[in-house]
Amino acid sequence: MEETTTATTTPIVRVEALNKKFGELHVLKDVDMQVAPGEVVAIIGPSGSGKSTFLRCLNRLEEPTSGQIYVDQEEITGDAVDLPKVRRNIGMIFQHLNLFPHMTAIDNVMEGPRTVLKSSRSKAREAAVQLLDKVGLLDKIDVKPAQLSGGQQQRVAIARALAMQPKVMLFDEVTSALDPELVGEVLSTMKQLADDGMTMLVVTHEMSFGEKVADRVVMFDEGIIIEEGAPEQIFSRASNERTQRFLSQLHWGGT
Amino acid sequence: MCQLAAQEIPDALTLRVSLTYETSPSLQEATTVNYEWEFDVVWENFPFLLSGVGTTVGLAILSMLAGGVLGMAVALARISRLRILRVPAYCYTELFRTTPIVVQIMWVYWVLPILAGVTLSGFQTGLVALSLNVAAFMAEIYRAGIMSINRGQTEASLALGMTSSQMMRRIIIPQAITRMIPPMGTMWVSLFKDTAIISAIGVTELMFQAQYLAVDTYRPVEIFTITAVIYFVITYPQSLGVNFLYKKFRTQE
Repeated sequence: MEETTTATTTPIVRVEALNKKFGELHVLKDVDMQVAPGEVVAIIGPSGSGKSTFLRCLNRLEEPTSGQIYVDQEEITGDAVDLPKVRRNIGMIFQHLNLFPHMTAIDNVMEGPRTVLKSSRSKAREAAVQLLDKVGLLDKIDVKPAQLSGGQQQRVAIARALAMQPKVMLFDEVTSALDPELVGEVLSTMKQLADDGMTMLVVTHEMSFGEKVADRVVMFDEGIIIEEGAPEQIFSRASNERTQRFLSQLHWGGT
Repeated sequence: MCQLAAQEIPDALTLRVSLTYETSPSLQEATTVNYEWEFDVVWENFPFLLSGVGTTVGLAILSMLAGGVLGMAVALARISRLRILRVPAYCYTELFRTTPIVVQIMWVYWVLPILAGVTLSGFQTGLVALSLNVAAFMAEIYRAGIMSINRGQTEASLALGMTSSQMMRRIIIPQAITRMIPPMGTMWVSLFKDTAIISAIGVTELMFQAQYLAVDTYRPVEIFTITAVIYFVITYPQSLGVNFLYKKFRTQE
């Protein structure tokens, strides 16, 4: 594995020897990873490779079997951890559209600050308006999720996560459930976020995102990281034969 | 109903019911051809009959409220991660859903005072028994409603940093409630009718008053016919209301 430029800064996410087993199934095998502040990491790999499970361990929606995870120097693994508090700092966007359907777009965005952070209504609303503006949905403030397209719903979901002012954002195949013509708007919102300096871990099948936005691409297969490096390196000169095969199956890369 | 009451309740009134019906002249000679309907006796005693309606309605409302609150606690216990809460809650709901309500009432009337050392009036007995019964059914309605909410909603709430109780209060229950309301309506209508069983322990609700009048006037045919009409007149609009709720909340989803 190649040393990246981020190795010298203090990592904002540090994963050490992470293991996850579902019964007999060993899904993650001693995975190590470090992510620098502001870094955008694209996580790719075939389905069943453990990449989504890895992401879900990072905010403990999935309980790691063993190993340590540190976010902003603080360990988030172990029984003594205050999970709700830990999760405030880690935003997550999911594959399935799961805005709160009984609330309007702005209420969705205000929900975290209001309920979890106990922000005042006016303060939460002001921030929510700014965030919806940022994701380009100022005109949809009072609209319920059912009246929004899938792409718009994912953009509100991004605003909802941002409202908690997280230190890290996790994206779990956020465009996989969308119609192809809606993928672009979500990816460009994510690119904008990356440009603003957000630390992002992005599980994705969108190789164009990996190529254009990510600082680093990490390839998972069978529960381990088999290759990682700068996007141009992975996409044009992947050294691992399995990475090459995976990319060629997606009709991506030079093979 | 009368037969049932006569067999199960060893009290003076019902003994009288079973005896007097056999000797009642109007019934002894009655056939479908020659029975002479005589509703005047009903109208003369109508205020007395209606005086039971208040108790019927009151008992139904109070049981629904108490059962609704208790049922929520049982439902939360049933979906708890703690086995020590889950198992008793499961036993409770299954026990009350699989035994006849009249048995539950008799049990509360005869057995509970001995076990718990408390004396309950007939109305209190009815309230306790019906509330316990309603709670079991309501618990299942709540649970089904909560379980019907997509797992993604739970994950989205937790990922925002919500505690389980915040998630329940803000996200799950507000969504589940629209799915709970129609079956709650059905539950309510069935409860309203079930209150009639409380006559078996001498509570002076509508059915009891009807039985009393039937004996007193020798006119069970008219009395019970009108009593059925009264139940229908009160219950039918509620039933229509429930149908409306089903339609309203179905179209919303």
